[in-house]
Amino acid sequence: MTYDSCALQNELPFLEIDHVDRIFPTKEGDYIAVEDVDLKVNKGEFVTLIGHSGCGKSTLLNIIAGLDRATNGGIILEGKEVKSPGPDRMMVFQNHSLLPWLTVKQNIALAVNRVFKHKSKKERNQIVEEHIDLVSLRPAADKFPREISGGMKQRVGIARALSIRPKLLLLDEPFGALDALTRGRLQEQLMKICEDHALSVVMITHDVDEALLLSDRIVMLTNGPSAHIGQILDVDLPRPRHRMEIVNNPSYYRMRGELIEFLNRQKKDKVQKAKRNVEAVVSRGKIEKVNLNIGFIPLTDCAPLVIAQEKGLFAKYGLEVTLSREKSWGAIADGVREGRLDAAQMVTGMPLAITLGMEKKEPVAIVTSLTLSRNGNAITIAKSVWDAGVRDLVSLKTYIQAQDHRPTFGMVHPASMHNLLLRHWLANAGIDSQTEVDVVVIPPAQMVSNLISSNIIGFSVGEPWNSRSVHEGLGYIIATDLDIWNGHPEKVLGVRADWAKEYPNTHLALTKALLEACAYCQPEQNREEILGIICQPAYLNAQSIYVRCGFNSPYRKGSGENLYLKDFNIFLGDNSPNRSEHLWVMAQMARWNLIPFPSNYDQILDRMLDPKTYIRASEDLNLPVAPVSLAPIVLADGEIFDPSAPMAGLPNSTEIREFVGDRQLV
Amino acid sequence: MTSNNLLKQSSPNVVFEWLQGQFKFIVPPVLALGSLLFIWQLLCGGETPPLPPPTKVVTEAWKFIVDPFFDNGGTDKGLGRHIFESLKRVGIGYSGSVVIGISLGILIGTNVLMYRAFDPIFQVLRTVPPLAWLPISSAVFESFKESEVLRMLGTDAVELSAVFVIFITSVWPVLMNTAVGVQQVPQDYRNVAKVLRLSRFEYFTKILVPSAAPYIFTGLRIAIGLSWLAIVAAEMLKGGVGIGFFIWDSYNSGKYSEMIVALFYVGIVGLLLDKVVFYISKFLVQTDS
Repeated sequence: MTYDSCALQNELPFLEIDHVDRIFPTKEGDYIAVEDVDLKVNKGEFVTLIGHSGCGKSTLLNIIAGLDRATNGGIILEGKEVKSPGPDRMMVFQNHSLLPWLTVKQNIALAVNRVFKHKSKKERNQIVEEHIDLVSLRPAADKFPREISGGMKQRVGIARALSIRPKLLLLDEPFGALDALTRGRLQEQLMKICEDHALSVVMITHDVDEALLLSDRIVMLTNGPSAHIGQILDVDLPRPRHRMEIVNNPSYYRMRGELIEFLNRQKKDKVQKAKRNVEAVVSRGKIEKVNLNIGFIPLTDCAPLVIAQEKGLFAKYGLEVTLSREKSWGAIADGVREGRLDAAQMVTGMPLAITLGMEKKEPVAIVTSLTLSRNGNAITIAKSVWDAGVRDLVSLKTYIQAQDHRPTFGMVHPASMHNLLLRHWLANAGIDSQTEVDVVVIPPAQMVSNLISSNIIGFSVGEPWNSRSVHEGLGYIIATDLDIWNGHPEKVLGVRADWAKEYPNTHLALTKALLEACAYCQPEQNREEILGIICQPAYLNAQSIYVRCGFNSPYRKGSGENLYLKDFNIFLGDNSPNRSEHLWVMAQMARWNLIPFPSNYDQILDRMLDPKTYIRASEDLNLPVAPVSLAPIVLADGEIFDPSAPMAGLPNSTEIREFVGDRQLV
Repeated sequence: MTSNNLLKQSSPNVVFEWLQGQFKFIVPPVLALGSLLFIWQLLCGGETPPLPPPTKVVTEAWKFIVDPFFDNGGTDKGLGRHIFESLKRVGIGYSGSVVIGISLGILIGTNVLMYRAFDPIFQVLRTVPPLAWLPISSAVFESFKESEVLRMLGTDAVELSAVFVIFITSVWPVLMNTAVGVQQVPQDYRNVAKVLRLSRFEYFTKILVPSAAPYIFTGLRIAIGLSWLAIVAAEMLKGGVGIGFFIWDSYNSGKYSEMIVALFYVGIVGLLLDKVVFYISKFLVQTDS
């Protein structure tokens, strides 16, 4: 799914933006506006460039149009290099750029007469008339631009561009200057035209909803100088799309969140970059870097990070930590990738996902030295599903098969245990999570609201979100992760490999502080105090009644059944970065097509897992060191995972590939 | 019924209302004019005033006010006829500035090197007042006095030097504005031309000229004013018919009343010329706003 496009690489792409740099010489030296932008656009694809103003997106579009030249690299359209502007790459300009001395008809005719010189006058006239009708401007055909509204002008611009049948349509914020109502109408019109004529389009916008509505792919550009592609989002919303309907698609807000998150991060980065230049890295004794920015997600199992901070454990080991409360796991991953965060609490599969460049991102090697928590998740189903008689996996299967559309489940990140365990659990009942249901990413904090609006029939998430929906009578817990894999690794500590290499003592201090915090979090008698701390506004900002269940009180499933689950939250036990477990995660990620299974998995795990730091930290703290073992894993359903044959028992179709993506690994 | 109502409504009542509406536009200038005339009357009411008071102007120059088109032969003609002659001269000189100003303007506007070379020179020349051109122009055309070509064209050196003064006074604004207009073709329009790969000729006729048109017309409007301003200077030395000469002649013969009436004529004609060019530009130029 995420690596299909690799197979197409041998074919010639329709449009290739080949490692484009654009450097403007200035008095103070060269200004790099765009750096190393590399992008391929397929025929018939609608690609949007999004970014803050001044991020070089217009420069990039002008280079594609041929109005500007790349300093390095170039543009290749259907195998030919683009060197000058031409009508095969017609542009719809931001301010419509109609010639004010020509009428609507004459403006279109100017283009048509020029491009279709060889055609008869009658034919050319026909083309002009046809396109006037296409954008419904018949009544305004003989009016001058100043006599018509902004929306109409933009329609003329589109008609003019379409009339000459360009191979590629370039749109430079085409609807930016229009009021919301007109914009919406034009967007739908444009979408229809694009679909009818199978146009290939590159559009610039800074409107997130517009990008989601129109695009097949959204290319997010980082802030200039040296703007480059930060992330690419595949918009897999079904077509035809309607603006009122797509917002109900469960993935819509996840994607929207991802875009906004990216844009916000760009803004934050700008401020931080300026700050970072001022306060250089403070080192103290052996600690190479003292000031750390650590990301966490407000969930019950962020307790070790909060406790390390509140109980002064970070300070004890010479660290000054800022805990950064993040909105989604995607934000955590990007924060670490891009260096905004020094370290973060991660879902178990995230170090692998980032290292292997899951979801077409640039691979960045990650190191994990500590497992922060085990268990703590549950699968909740909506009240309506419960009312329909669903009590267990078997009745859930009957329910799913009775639906006339695919029911949707929410989970928090593709590489999270929530996703992998949910899919595994469904598969146990013979429910194929790739064809029979949709499993979509929704940030934890948005789960309950998505359940309320019936976008999803259930979700797999950490606490307090399950208990909250139970408490409010919105859902029922159908299974906890103890029913699937009791004792699975849930959250791990992740840092970039180059970071760990550069700051080994800081890394050890951080591991120590967190391990000591884990040890504090484990005993039952500390839990009430911890509950009070993590529920504070700076952390979970939740009522303790939601957090309490399972943490230090009986777990309520909503069915009246209250369970005393001693192991619902495990913070201290085997805190090592466990090789078998990460291997299981890797195999499962391959099973669900998130990554191709790397044939050199041993080498990857060698680099990614850092048991040495864990062992040193444990020894320094006089905590028992978990044995480094490659013991088989036994799941609750009796399935046994043998680490010596990780892919055994998985479908043959799963791709196996040597992983070479990462410079830092090699 | 309805027609009756309509009739009632379009009765004098409507006309009266319209007049009432226009009142506030008519009364203030009339009052201002009246007070100016009154002050003038007061100032020039003495025994031997430097200029005749309005009352005296009207009585003395009554012939010129009531009948602009009489012709008693020689230079004893109505002011309308004088103005007509002057307009002919202005017409020729102004046409010259339009043709030469626009073509030179486009040339230096499209060519950076030419622009750099000539712009400073033009900036100096354009500030030279019409009266200062007169001696040069006379000196130059004097040497062609005996030229056969001039005789064949039905003109003479003096006539030509007058037209030249008008031309040289009014050519600068046309030239400078055209040059700027050509340089200011918005990047958007140039991009359109580039993307469509318009030929040089198409670019010139479809983009460059229409885009510069508002600037060119601004130049033309300033130029028409200037060429009319130059008429008095131009006709200063030229005997015969023409409003400029008439003014000088009246001054020389001490007929101040006639001179003053002629001034009013000059002013009103200047205003009308300006309005004519303005309406032509309004008709021809399409701008974005």
